[in-house]
Amino acid sequence: MRITEDQAEKIRQLTQEIFGSEAELKVFGSRLDDQLKGGDLDLLVKSLTPLAEPARKSALLGARVSRLFQGRKVDVLLIAPNLKYLPIHRIAEKQGEAL
Amino acid sequence: MTSREELAERLSFLARIAAREADLLQFTTERLFKDQPALNAALVSQWTQNNLIAEQLDAFVARFGRLQDTLGDKLMPNLLELLGEKRGAAVDNLDKAERLGWIESTDAWLLSRQLRNQMIHEYIEDPEVLADALNQGRAQVKMLTWAAEQMLSEVAKRLN
Repeated sequence: MRITEDQAEKIRQLTQEIFGSEAELKVFGSRLDDQLKGGDLDLLVKSLTPLAEPARKSALLGARVSRLFQGRKVDVLLIAPNLKYLPIHRIAEKQGEAL
Repeated sequence: MTSREELAERLSFLARIAAREADLLQFTTERLFKDQPALNAALVSQWTQNNLIAEQLDAFVARFGRLQDTLGDKLMPNLLELLGEKRGAAVDNLDKAERLGWIESTDAWLLSRQLRNQMIHEYIEDPEVLADALNQGRAQVKMLTWAAEQMLSEVAKRLN
């Protein structure tokens, strides 16, 4: 995975600040492919409790992580009991690797 | 024309566009959200089923995005150039703009960019997420139009 341990630690910290310490974090998409350079960063955050303000929270994590990667595009997908579980969530969960 | 004159001309053009875009965004915000308490998933589902409201929603999101692009990607870098600042990465420009008092903060700006994609009703299939994104977007209109005012007054000051 082309994310340094230092970057991973910062992403984990930011995720905990926004979603709490129970939230699970995975990375999926092109970042998992070591052959590819650059590209977007796709994160999946899974919360076991309902999430208020889901759009703001996912945008906030995306903005903070994007800053960490010099403005690279970051997408944050959320799984929570109060949100719809769509095919994209299933794929991300299956394909993603814990960060 | 010297490059300075060209830059001045470009800036006054961009300032006119930004002013117009800010007016249009305020108009649509007023029309769409007037007397409306915070949106919830049920109401947003109704809105997206109603072609006339869905059209206004599209206008809101498009105008929000256009003003943000004009300010952040065009007006801001050109204005920094006029001030003699070196061209930098987008995030560096935002930091400078924050220091100069043109935007509230780099973080708030980046956050509202991230929100844009979640306001697009055609592909946000969860009304819970869409409702929150639109509530957040509505709350950020003031921040965007405030930034437009700051940059427009800077342009006016520098070009006169």
